[in-house]
Amino acid sequence: MVRIFPSSRASILIQGGRYGSGGQRRIMLTHLISWGGLAVELLLLVRGVQQKLVSRYPIFYSYILFIFASEIASQFFDPAKHPYLFFYWITEFLGLFLGCMIVFELYRIGLSEYPGTARMARAVLGVLFLIASLRTVIATAEVPLWWINATPAQVEGTLRVFEALAIISLVVLFLFYSIPFGRNLRGILLGYGIFVSWSVVCLTFASGGPDKSHSLWSYTYSASYVVALLVWAGHLWSYQPNPQPVRAIPLEKEYLRMAAATQRRLEGARGYLAKAVRS
Amino acid sequence: MISIPAAFLICTVAVLSIGVFVWREASVRREFSRPSDHSGLDDDAAELLYCPPEFVARVFSPDDCKFVSSARSRQLNQLFRRERKVVALVWVYQTKLAIRRVMREHTRVTRQSQDLHFATEAQLVLSYMQLILVCNLLCLAIQSAGPARLGTLANYADSLSQRIAQARHGLAVATSSAELRGVNPLS
Repeated sequence: MVRIFPSSRASILIQGGRYGSGGQRRIMLTHLISWGGLAVELLLLVRGVQQKLVSRYPIFYSYILFIFASEIASQFFDPAKHPYLFFYWITEFLGLFLGCMIVFELYRIGLSEYPGTARMARAVLGVLFLIASLRTVIATAEVPLWWINATPAQVEGTLRVFEALAIISLVVLFLFYSIPFGRNLRGILLGYGIFVSWSVVCLTFASGGPDKSHSLWSYTYSASYVVALLVWAGHLWSYQPNPQPVRAIPLEKEYLRMAAATQRRLEGARGYLAKAVRS
Repeated sequence: MISIPAAFLICTVAVLSIGVFVWREASVRREFSRPSDHSGLDDDAAELLYCPPEFVARVFSPDDCKFVSSARSRQLNQLFRRERKVVALVWVYQTKLAIRRVMREHTRVTRQSQDLHFATEAQLVLSYMQLILVCNLLCLAIQSAGPARLGTLANYADSLSQRIAQARHGLAVATSSAELRGVNPLS
């Protein structure tokens, strides 16, 4: 299970169990989310191997395997000790990197039959990356060494924001170009989109400082991951291919002809509108 | 790090866009199962016109309104305004649908194109969005003021479209000359 807080703050939940009135319930809920998540991850991996989905969506299953393995490994660390903190944030950032690769897999598989839309997606993501780089340069110029003072939650939050923006850009392109997705890919997008979106909100609250990091956000962050896992389990139960396009564009330079025709038609519509209203 | 309202905004936009994508999947599949035929793209813009321009001009003209007002019948005046508003709104909706159809056909074909140009495509998308915005503004203006009082908006739309037409004309010339030579004008 992906946790939002390092041990020092995550222990708030356990302390609540010792001293708070509803502590036992909170501990039970924490264990339920944690073990429930592990069970669904295992189920996903088993079904992925059985249905040979692992070879079709290798990055996605690597991500699930990584999260599963890191969660098992985290049981060997004492949450109150310092090494756990290093382990937690290292696995968190590796998970974040693999998560970004899931977005890349969505782009790679979803647009493999649509080179035109893929080109648009590359350009849009390139622009987004440029904006992110510029923002980082400006932030560094304003506050030198901000990245040393920033907490891991702040850094992860910023990266999650750009991941969310990349997902939004891709989805808008998929919508605009009416790209059909198979059930599997749709499930990956839906589950991962929900998880990343909610993590943006949770990390924004968490990076506000320990006072603001209410345990509610920790629960909802973990719960959103379980929701994503359930969505994935439902959509990746068996293999369903992406719909294949009927025909390909064989001719070179055909795009210019089509763009010119569309331009003419839109121009006609514009003239028609203007003429009618001006009269 | 971003502010909390911005985080909620990003979260909402992401969830909504993904939700719309999943919800629209059925209609996309239906559309997708139809054989693609882009011959329609070569047709003239005249196919967009559902009714003759003279008729549309009449709908937006204040002449009829003045004529009905001269009868000095309040009831007749109200009936005329209501009916005229409905006719004008139907026309704008039809035009909007036609513009959407043009763009849908375009994206259906170009999504598979190997040599798509980002700049050209971005300009088309901007143009499309602008036209849809003008249609939506027209709808609002018709609903609030009636079709006969659109002079101000029309003048603004006209000047805007003329400026854009000038910019686009340059692109069209470059595109057609490159087509003849078989080279990419934007590379």
